[in-house]
Amino acid sequence: MAEKRWLHALAKGDPAALGGLYEIYGERIFRYAFRMLGNRSDAEDATAETFLRVLRRSNELRADAAFRTWLFRIARNLCIDRMRQHRLLELPNDAHDNGTEERTALKITVQQALSDLPADYREPLILCDLEDISAKEAADILKISVPALKSRLYRGRRALRDKLGGALEKVL
Amino acid sequence: MNRELYTKLVDLYAGYELPAELEDEMIVAAGNDPALASDMLTLRAAVDALQNDQGPSFTEESFQRILMKLYARGVDLHTKAPSPTHLQYQLPIQG
Repeated sequence: MAEKRWLHALAKGDPAALGGLYEIYGERIFRYAFRMLGNRSDAEDATAETFLRVLRRSNELRADAAFRTWLFRIARNLCIDRMRQHRLLELPNDAHDNGTEERTALKITVQQALSDLPADYREPLILCDLEDISAKEAADILKISVPALKSRLYRGRRALRDKLGGALEKVL
Repeated sequence: MNRELYTKLVDLYAGYELPAELEDEMIVAAGNDPALASDMLTLRAAVDALQNDQGPSFTEESFQRILMKLYARGVDLHTKAPSPTHLQYQLPIQG
């Protein structure tokens, strides 16, 4: 409900609207960008740029359109542009966990393994398994069919398992 | 059901997409098939590891830095979040 209210306000040019949308979606877009780009600084830049584009393109918004899909698509395009601009090999440096050493190691390894996957596999995993977005919406964000999304998702999971290898065996 | 079909269903099993009866049936079949059992176990563990990943923390500092970047680009942004202390008071050096 809050989303609809802010979108309506955005269309009317209310300056509070973007702040409201940032409070609803800022964290999810930041996490998504961090997972795509692998570091906090680039993720913050991409998140700010995403909301700036929301403001600039607010006239493209239709009342019946899925705002979240549109928002993730903007964030995705910005992340891809940024990845093209400079090849990012830096690993996330603030991975932490309160669990056992094995689980902490697995978490870091999951992030490493994820960042090593080809984008075609990584993106469905981030959207469906990490961001808990439905297959239909993820397919819309990636502009592919649902069967194609599922195929990439299943192949991606298998590729991730292969990369995790020994780290996975320790927690089984 | 034959082994070939179970092998094809492993992806659905790993992603918790199978109905409970079919999942139970696969677990029974895996009891006599170590390769199938290993495939099911390791793939589901990979999915669990991924889905349990808490991800990067969205810190207050990140929240504020993103706001600052938007202010710097001329966006008049209003949030309910309190302004950071260093922005609440005009310091002499700021004129």
